[in-house]
Amino acid sequence: MKRVGLAVLLVLGMLALAEGRLKAGWIYVGPIGDYGWTHAHDVGRREAAKAFPWLQTLYVESVPEGQVGSYIDQMVRQGVKVIFATSFGYMDGVLEAAKRYPNVIFAHASGFKRAPNVATYMADFYQVYYLNGLMAGALTKTGKVGYVGAFPIPEVKRHINAFALGVRAVNPKAKVLVRWIYEWYSPAAAKEATEALIAEGADVFAFTEDSPTVVQVAAGHKLPSFAHYSPMLKFAPDYVVSGQLVDWGVIYKDFLAKVYAGLYTPKNLEDVDYWWLLPQKAVALGADRGVPVNPKFIPALKAKKIHHPVFGEISVYDLVMKLKAMMSDVELAFDPFQGPIKDRKGNLRVPAGVRPTQAELESLEWAVQGVEGPWPNEPK
Amino acid sequence: MRLVPRGEAPALFVAAVSLLAVLLAFAASLVLLALYGASPWEAIAVVYRGVLADPRGFAEVLRRAVPLTLAGAGLALAFRAQFWNIGAEGQLLVGAVAASGVALFGPGEGVAKLVLMAAVAFVAGGLWAMVPAYLKARLAVNDVITTLMFNYVAIYLVEWLIHGPWKGKSVFGFAYTDRFPASAWLPLWPGTGLAWPGLVLAVAAAALLAWLLGATKLGFEVRVVGENPEAARYAGVRALSTLLQVALLSGGVAGLAGFVEVAGTHHRLLAPLQISLGYGYTAIIVAWLGRNRPLATLLTGLLIGFVFAAGDVAKVALATPFQLVQVVNGLILFFLIAAEVPIRYRVVWRPERG
Repeated sequence: MKRVGLAVLLVLGMLALAEGRLKAGWIYVGPIGDYGWTHAHDVGRREAAKAFPWLQTLYVESVPEGQVGSYIDQMVRQGVKVIFATSFGYMDGVLEAAKRYPNVIFAHASGFKRAPNVATYMADFYQVYYLNGLMAGALTKTGKVGYVGAFPIPEVKRHINAFALGVRAVNPKAKVLVRWIYEWYSPAAAKEATEALIAEGADVFAFTEDSPTVVQVAAGHKLPSFAHYSPMLKFAPDYVVSGQLVDWGVIYKDFLAKVYAGLYTPKNLEDVDYWWLLPQKAVALGADRGVPVNPKFIPALKAKKIHHPVFGEISVYDLVMKLKAMMSDVELAFDPFQGPIKDRKGNLRVPAGVRPTQAELESLEWAVQGVEGPWPNEPK
Repeated sequence: MRLVPRGEAPALFVAAVSLLAVLLAFAASLVLLALYGASPWEAIAVVYRGVLADPRGFAEVLRRAVPLTLAGAGLALAFRAQFWNIGAEGQLLVGAVAASGVALFGPGEGVAKLVLMAAVAFVAGGLWAMVPAYLKARLAVNDVITTLMFNYVAIYLVEWLIHGPWKGKSVFGFAYTDRFPASAWLPLWPGTGLAWPGLVLAVAAAALLAWLLGATKLGFEVRVVGENPEAARYAGVRALSTLLQVALLSGGVAGLAGFVEVAGTHHRLLAPLQISLGYGYTAIIVAWLGRNRPLATLLTGLLIGFVFAAGDVAKVALATPFQLVQVVNGLILFFLIAAEVPIRYRVVWRPERG
């Protein structure tokens, strides 16, 4: 149904706009070779370029935050009509440039300020993290799951919380030990943090960092781990259980198709905010594309049975698949953050029967029960 | 053929050789571009259209030239006194920190606030440079190493502040301070991204340091200490006091560059690599290219600012790799070092008599 809708839009667009090609530009904060955030956005750009013959793309990498305005000037001079700015730090620069170029469409990833010609978009992982947590809870023997975090910001905290909720749903006594490395990309720091967590007894790993380091170090100790952002199965085929994968391409294709069709104009983007999850296929569960769970771990996950409040006696593997299906449906019959949820200090954060709003999730600073380790800016 | 030391080369000759070195570096860059697959002629055309023929684009040259000249003029003074200050980057960062502190938490309104921000940035940058200077003068600690290490201390200071006590309430948990109140923003030249008071500061700093070096007692002492420390002691110059004053000025103007960056461009304190783009290190090239003459850094700062702005344009229009700017700067430095040979020696086409 959705695909038909998109096709209709495209045809309408082609009829409406005889002018032909649309030029879109991407501004990246890192190098496209980072195997993380910027790499994933560039994969999405290429996907869009391949899908639409009328689309012409260009990109510029490693753009410092303070210079985004002058890069936008250059792109507009090149005739770019749609600009994707892919770092939170570009926010103010994008909004200023949007005033300067009222006829250019801007889309800002991970931001929260919009304007008539500035939309925002984000592909979020929290559902996938919960599913990975379920599997981690089943696989830990020591009851300690290690997590290497990049920065203690709400996005990463939300993901660790979702992960820990999953771990505890299977293994109510398990702990998630957290280490922060204060870098988005730092193989050296990630290695050190992983080794430290192993020394503390952690035997299953998840992380937020733009390299496969945690996977590799864990595999070196013959310990399982969960991939982050890009497919990492090939780095340790025997030890990567699953992970979270992003597909920015679906957002870019949807957005550009709507621009081309004339649905999005530089005057009506004030309320356009993509917060895309499993149902929109902006994120996926998997160690690799098409491999939701590494077959090597399926027997162990099937063998682990738990008593679930809704499904009764069920194997962890079946639970993961059931919840994945529920969370992939737009009806969202299940949400990891559905209350009651208490933080680790005992405060009731989400009352029973309530789900946090997107804004609440985006500004979440507390830690759920079972999370151990430093937690900067933790509310009292 | 042999090389004979020529003593002091005439200034015009030095300028000509330096200019030749820069032109050769540009030529080598164009060759690199051609090897990469971009047309050099198109590159020249693109840079001309985007940087030189466009007011907004040219303002970008000036915007980069301001911190480069400020830090470079200070380094020129330091190098003349044989104070090997590699720490302009750190001095710039602590200047940015001090200015941000006043902007976010300090008193004042309007121009008074901006003046206070500039003043504390100058003092912070100066003090940051005075510690290694003191260690050098008193304990003979190698200043190349201490000034360099102080950069890392400054980087971690900024990181700690933006992740910890100064983290903003309105930044969704990301590592930034809140935005400065509008009274702490430097005004922009209309239609451009250039904070014009920064330009005034850069020109004034270069001129003042040149005057100081050429026409004051401190300038005389700097030159004596730099050229002949033994003679300086004999003449009764107090090396410690001279060195500390040089460090205050050199670090101070780098601190001013930090003030201009946060008050003119960013309007908040943010990750160290985002604040300065390595201006403090690149300023070493600026000072050297200017043969350690503060006034000359006005020109050389402009030149390196042009390299930065042209690199931005080429990145978008020609899809060149992002490392290009560093490569061009590296080539300029490379050819400048090579140019030392014809500047210091003359070639004699005669066999040496035995």
